[in-house]
Amino acid sequence: MSNNTEKRIIVENVYKTFDVYLDKANSLKEKMLFWKRNRKETREVLKDVSLTINNGEAVALIGVNGSGKSTLLKLMTKIIYPNKGKVTTNGKLTSLLELGAGFHPDFSGRENIYFNASIFGLTRKEIDSRIEKIIEFSELGTYIDNPVRTYSSGMYMRLAFSVAINVDAEILLVDEILSVGDQHFQEKCLNKMKELKKEGKTMVFVTHSLESARNLCDRAIWLHKGVIKKDGETKSVIDEYLKETT
Amino acid sequence: MSIFKSVYDYRELLKTSVTKDIGGKYKNSFLGVLWSFVNPLLQIIVYAIIFPLIMRNNIENYVVFMVCGLIPWNYFSTVINRASFTMIENGNIIKKVYFPREILPLSLVTSESVTFLISSIIILGFVLGYGMGLSIFILFYPMLLLIQYILLLGISLIVSSVTVYFRDLQHFLGVILQLLFYATPIVYSLDSIPQEFKWIFNFNPMTYIIQGYRDIFYYQQMPDIRGLLVIFGVAILLCIIGYLIFNKLQKRFAEEL
Repeated sequence: MSNNTEKRIIVENVYKTFDVYLDKANSLKEKMLFWKRNRKETREVLKDVSLTINNGEAVALIGVNGSGKSTLLKLMTKIIYPNKGKVTTNGKLTSLLELGAGFHPDFSGRENIYFNASIFGLTRKEIDSRIEKIIEFSELGTYIDNPVRTYSSGMYMRLAFSVAINVDAEILLVDEILSVGDQHFQEKCLNKMKELKKEGKTMVFVTHSLESARNLCDRAIWLHKGVIKKDGETKSVIDEYLKETT
Repeated sequence: MSIFKSVYDYRELLKTSVTKDIGGKYKNSFLGVLWSFVNPLLQIIVYAIIFPLIMRNNIENYVVFMVCGLIPWNYFSTVINRASFTMIENGNIIKKVYFPREILPLSLVTSESVTFLISSIIILGFVLGYGMGLSIFILFYPMLLLIQYILLLGISLIVSSVTVYFRDLQHFLGVILQLLFYATPIVYSLDSIPQEFKWIFNFNPMTYIIQGYRDIFYYQQMPDIRGLLVIFGVAILLCIIGYLIFNKLQKRFAEEL
């Protein structure tokens, strides 16, 4: 049992390929008429990736565009599945891949909190007990009862972030979203993340901001062309990464 | 049996999407929820005029006879039609957040069942309006609803997942449902079918279900319990097969949508 809580994320020899259709036949008619035309390329995004993330670790995934960081994160959330290998996660998991997924523009901010939080697997009671905290964190004040379509993009992001951050998951997966809102709100988010880290939550970030990686994470994993190039203490990984890319 | 646990864990999502579906349907329309009565009533009026004209019959209270078949049929065909769109409609969320995907067909069947429950008032209205009264056999209604629910859940699991890979199914289904409408005793009685075509009806699960509704509301007699139990078994089997197919196909939903 102790094994379960110690290792939060286990990725074992994972391969992931995407079929990139250059000219996809979508309907039966096209399939029959242009069956030769179904050209596709298979792109290998992850090649034999293995890693283990322990409880309480804050890990940054770094690498240039197209190195497979976001794919690895999506595999951890179970939005997509590997072609080969296995991804296991232990504990309640929240992902902040794209903020506000599933917001309904015609419903009010408050109603959307309920809907969004239920997508994360919270029960009514759990949402009721968090709603004040979420609204307070979002700083939306009385706007919370207006339809979401009237929100500015900053307000939208703040609401979405507040919901996701207050789910109280054991594992938090974050994809490049620390650029939410203005300076003030960004700092608030960063502080909240630090607080969660102190509480012993496990976090994985995909980020291009090496600054925030240094700031938050004690471990960094450098992905390059679908393989792990270096995995270790944040500072040394980033230093080497910078040496190679600049 | 992890499916039951994951659906239970996400019960709030199921609840909110069912209420959003029912509440959102008529949100911006003038007549609102009244449409769930007006729509089938208009359809009944049209059918009640057309079908006696083209097909002679000596069925007593023909309108009531037809209504008992038409309302459950609408429930059946609406669910299957919508199931073929549900994944594509929700593609945005599927690509961004993890949640048990089976929630989507499940909430669709559930919300349409609630709509059916409401439109069953129309059946009652006609039965009472024609002075036929009610009998004790109406107590079989929940059983019929349950069988139809399970049957639709099985079909929806298959239809919703297969259309992601094979979009043509949406259009095929329209044709198949149209054919099936005439291969089910809805606007005519089973007795008027020539012996050599009876087998088609014996293989159609909706025959038993619609006959069931008709038995309890129209004929006011004991429904064919043995036949219904067989259909119940078929429905459960279909659910299991449907779940296996769904579970296999759902792994690539985010990539295919």
